Amino acid sequence: MNKTVELRRTKAEYLILALVVVLFLSIPLFAGPYHLAIIMDIGIYAIITMGLILLMGQAGQLSLGQAVFFGLGAYSSAILTTQHHFAPWLALLLAIIITGSIAAGIGRAVLRLKGIIVSGVTLVLNLIFSYLVLSLINLTGGANGIVNIPHLSPVKLIPNSLFDYYFLWIVAFLLLAFSLNLVNSRTGRALRTMNILSGGGEETAQVLGINVMKYKVQVFTLGAVYASIAGSIYAHHLGSIEPDIFGAHLSLLVAIMAIVGGMASPWGAFLGAALLMGLTELLGKFASVVVSGPTGAYELIAYGIILMAVLRFLPQGLIPLFQKLPPQSRHSK
Amino acid sequence: MRDYLSWMKDILAFTKEQMREIDSSSLLQLKNISVAFGKLTAVDGVSFTIRRGDITSIIGPNGAGKTTILKLICGLLPLSQGEIWFKQQRLDKIPPHHIASLGVTQVFQDIQLFSNMSILENVMVGCHVWTDSGFLNTGLKLPHAKAEENKIKEQAISKLSLVGLEQKAFMLPSHLSWSEQKLSGLARALAAEPDLLLLDEPYGGLMATEIAMLSRLILQLQQDGITILMVEQRTDEALEIANQVVILDSGEKVADASPTEIRSNAFIATNYLGGRVKGMSEVHHAASK
Repeated sequence: MNKTVELRRTKAEYLILALVVVLFLSIPLFAGPYHLAIIMDIGIYAIITMGLILLMGQAGQLSLGQAVFFGLGAYSSAILTTQHHFAPWLALLLAIIITGSIAAGIGRAVLRLKGIIVSGVTLVLNLIFSYLVLSLINLTGGANGIVNIPHLSPVKLIPNSLFDYYFLWIVAFLLLAFSLNLVNSRTGRALRTMNILSGGGEETAQVLGINVMKYKVQVFTLGAVYASIAGSIYAHHLGSIEPDIFGAHLSLLVAIMAIVGGMASPWGAFLGAALLMGLTELLGKFASVVVSGPTGAYELIAYGIILMAVLRFLPQGLIPLFQKLPPQSRHSK
Repeated sequence: MRDYLSWMKDILAFTKEQMREIDSSSLLQLKNISVAFGKLTAVDGVSFTIRRGDITSIIGPNGAGKTTILKLICGLLPLSQGEIWFKQQRLDKIPPHHIASLGVTQVFQDIQLFSNMSILENVMVGCHVWTDSGFLNTGLKLPHAKAEENKIKEQAISKLSLVGLEQKAFMLPSHLSWSEQKLSGLARALAAEPDLLLLDEPYGGLMATEIAMLSRLILQLQQDGITILMVEQRTDEALEIANQVVILDSGEKVADASPTEIRSNAFIATNYLGGRVKGMSEVHHAASK
């Protein structure tokens, strides 16, 4: 038996992407506002998770700081539009630059560390960010947050929520295409060489001419930029933000989404976000019927059970279930 | 006085000319290099020069510092003392990825193929040094990145063909035999188009027929203009294809000569080439008898 492994670049992947794009763009024709809001949440989480998948799944860097960059994007957009009267589009772009610059600085310092220590330090970043947001009241509004953040929609041809839906999902699919191109290229291969979690080696990478530190910082920055875009869209869509949403729990939830969805492919971000958000909605509906009290605690227990089940039975996440063959070793006879 | 000055000038001009000739023929120069790990001196004041187009074999007993020297050349270990020069450029002050971009590549003793990639992808990684598409270029799939990706694939397939593994391009490293993995590692290094190829125990774990095939391949690479520095325990095979042999023992250089000179030296032949390579303590013991 001649076992072979295909190159990741497959036309089928792009065909599926085209079909999914068409499906998502047609959803507003038959879905109500409630379901559209859930699908938007999935899109937001999928973008944040996709950045983490590039960082963790490709480059093997265990980061738990995505909520910080999501928050930086949201607060930058909110502050620039409400306090400095920038146009929302310009604010979104400036938020990317601000978050990217901060992430590059953090990455340069943090990524000199190795393995689990990186995740510990990035987890601490969440606490620092929360503290700063609550302390800098004049800038961030403290615990009250920021309200009256303008919508992204430049003209009122369609309802704001519909515009946000289409904008979010177009951005999500463009970032997915960008990520797939990246994974299947010189850059993606360079990232995988340093992934010591799945068969890479930093010394070998360096001897082959790969500037390991430069790539680590760049992919860390890229992951932060993804989160920043999601944060800006989130802030402009809701019209208000408050600090609670940007805590360490969000970073952990995004990491769980990445692990559950599958870190070998950017598609995993969509699967992980859809499963966990769908589960949250189900628990929201049924948990209060079965048992009294808030559903939050049951969500956490459910996330934990799902994470353990995935790690036990599907260590590569859900992605292999949607592929004929495992992502890292697509064998064919 | 004037005659004396003119004579001195002639001498200096002649010396400069000689030095230039030596410099132009030498590709790598190790000048009095040492490295210590705590109290242990792994390499102690070693100097030698590798000429362009030569095959140089470093031999010696276990713990002689052979692999350490390769790591020092690649920049994976810092020098405690001395200098390493490659193509008139000092190597010991620059990071490993920069050294690779100057034309130095290594095939590791344990190969270190990336197990998360196919053999073809592994060899494609070898092309990293001569390509430059970054995140934006590759993410947006711009024409430059597309053209480069095609070139990378062509180069990788041609190097796999050179080592006879094009049929196994899409396999994972774990599905290949040890000798095939060795050849894949070599193909990956060759994809970088190196001027100096470092081979760490290339014959290790190979059978006689595979060793013969690899030797032919190494000689072919030499004919193609690649300079080779290899570390090898199998002295017969190492001497067979080498133009220059350096013997190390306990971190010190014992000899640096042609294979013929090495073989004709009774002391070296007895202590370093006879069946197995002896350690320095055994050599001293033999010499004192």
